[in-house]
Amino acid sequence: MLDRFTKTALVLMVVLTAIFIVGAYLGYIGGHEMEGTDAIVEEHAASTAVNVEATSSVPAITDMVGEPLGFTIAGIVAGFIVGYLWTGLFRREENA
Amino acid sequence: MHISDGILTPEWCLVWFAIAIPFIAIGVWQMKRGTKENASYLPMLAMMGAAVFIISVWHIPVPVTGSCSHPIGTPMSAIIVGPFPTVVLSTIALFFHTFFGHGGLTTLGANTVSMGITGTFGGYLIYVLLRKINSPLWVAAGMAGFVGDILCYLAAALELALSLNPGSVLSHWAIYSLGYMPTQLPLAVAEFVFSAGIVQYIADRRPDLMLGKLWGEVTDA
Repeated sequence: MLDRFTKTALVLMVVLTAIFIVGAYLGYIGGHEMEGTDAIVEEHAASTAVNVEATSSVPAITDMVGEPLGFTIAGIVAGFIVGYLWTGLFRREENA
Repeated sequence: MHISDGILTPEWCLVWFAIAIPFIAIGVWQMKRGTKENASYLPMLAMMGAAVFIISVWHIPVPVTGSCSHPIGTPMSAIIVGPFPTVVLSTIALFFHTFFGHGGLTTLGANTVSMGITGTFGGYLIYVLLRKINSPLWVAAGMAGFVGDILCYLAAALELALSLNPGSVLSHWAIYSLGYMPTQLPLAVAEFVFSAGIVQYIADRRPDLMLGKLWGEVTDA
């Protein structure tokens, strides 16, 4: 039997994943590239000045494994940290 | 609001670092004080750090505009662990974002000023003002998230305009802001929802973990 935290986490994961998939699908069938707004504005800003171009001073994980897998890794790592600490902080209340 | 390396001039990179460093120093000092006074503060900081890291890097598709962007999470963190420590958390998060192709090392100061300082303090100020007029906690927290998110992107647009278009800062600030806003407004609404929900939840379940009570008012046995 799943505890309340696990149930809530699973529901959140399904809802968030559904939002991402539906949002991306609707965007793509609308003919959009679904680029990041940061990059779009940055490219436009760079085009207004001379000799300005975005560079990268560190090797990006997303360049090596792709954005979907890179962000999945980030989500898993951050999710484990948040989940571990969240259960620790709120378990203290139950024991008090 | 992640500005990449190579976009801002070196002078402006230094200016933004100079502005960010005092906030980071105060934040580190407050973190040390907080962890001494309450044992729950350190795990709360770590949790908020991880939350800010993932909230502010994971692009959410916005189909109506055909692009994607991300909330920032720092207003929520400011309400829970404090605005100055949140600047430190966002700087650490922004550093790790560079390894995911977002932002850059030379622009770390600029990105800290937009997300870590403007977004954090803008949102926190709204929260304090709304609480002073007896607004419900969830409304104040939600509005902090909404306003902090928008202010963060206005600050990023200003950073771009100041560095790249010194002869026409105001008009280019408006242009870059308009570039960000259509995608950012729906995400600011999402920021309202999760900031309101999480802050209200923590205040209901563990009020001792809220900022005002973390320092001094509660002592661990």
